[in-house]
Amino acid sequence: MAGLSFGTTSELLKDALNGASLGHAAIANNIANVNTPGYQRFDVVYKQALAATEPTPPDPNELTLATDNPRQIAINGEIPAQPFSVSASRVDNPIKMRPDGSNVDVDQEMAELTQNSAYQQTMAQFLTTQYTRIRSAIEERA
Amino acid sequence: MPGDATFYSSIEISASALSAERLAMDVIANNIANVNTTRTPDGGAFKRQLVVFAQKTDDDAKAQASQMGQDPNAVGNLAGVKTVQIIDDPSPDRLAYDPGNPDADTQGYVHYPNVQIVKEMVDMMVAQRAYEANVSAIKESRAMGNAVLGVLKA
Repeated sequence: MAGLSFGTTSELLKDALNGASLGHAAIANNIANVNTPGYQRFDVVYKQALAATEPTPPDPNELTLATDNPRQIAINGEIPAQPFSVSASRVDNPIKMRPDGSNVDVDQEMAELTQNSAYQQTMAQFLTTQYTRIRSAIEERA
Repeated sequence: MPGDATFYSSIEISASALSAERLAMDVIANNIANVNTTRTPDGGAFKRQLVVFAQKTDDDAKAQASQMGQDPNAVGNLAGVKTVQIIDDPSPDRLAYDPGNPDADTQGYVHYPNVQIVKEMVDMMVAQRAYEANVSAIKESRAMGNAVLGVLKA
């Protein structure tokens, strides 16, 4: 990240807000196309992309092949951190909800909309708290 | 970032559906209003009309996404819904035997529109529920926007 950074927490929360925002657009698009015949719903799996920004530790239940050089082939090694990247992808569900070929279930979309919105607001609240903390550190008072 | 263009666009996505569902409501209301219309400018009875919905794609957003190395089909397709055309229902007219009617044909049958009130009522409820769902989506967009604006007050 270029410029001034206030640590990994605010970077992570920023990514979470970005993901939730795109997720909301995808859900809004699904709800908008609720009466479009043959429409296939979009999904944004930003929580997985968010988890991948941290290095993934080896699976403790699997056998691990230790390495002491990055050019050696590791089995079940630590997966390094990936930069955060999300995009909306089409869900091609063979089980169609409706006879018109659309796979949008409006009840499910409404539930996801509420859930996604609550998640986004929680993350925004965390970010607010984080900046309040940083501000109190800058201003040297509790 | 993919998140950049989506914040206000999610309200636009829902707004596109509001106007599409409103058009559907207008067409349904017109069908109900013309349930007994036997004369039209094109001649013959009124034909029941249907709105055809199609997914809207944003070509500008697609081009922008492919420039930035993202999947253009994913980003450009989050643009809501549009109505492509209003088509006439091709099903046959409702016939009623009434030789005294000035619009009766040579066999004495009057061609009434192929509009069924019950069907229109059900379609109207579908459109209304979809409209309400999109209003909820806009309200959630606003709530999310306010939450992010709260960060500024930190």
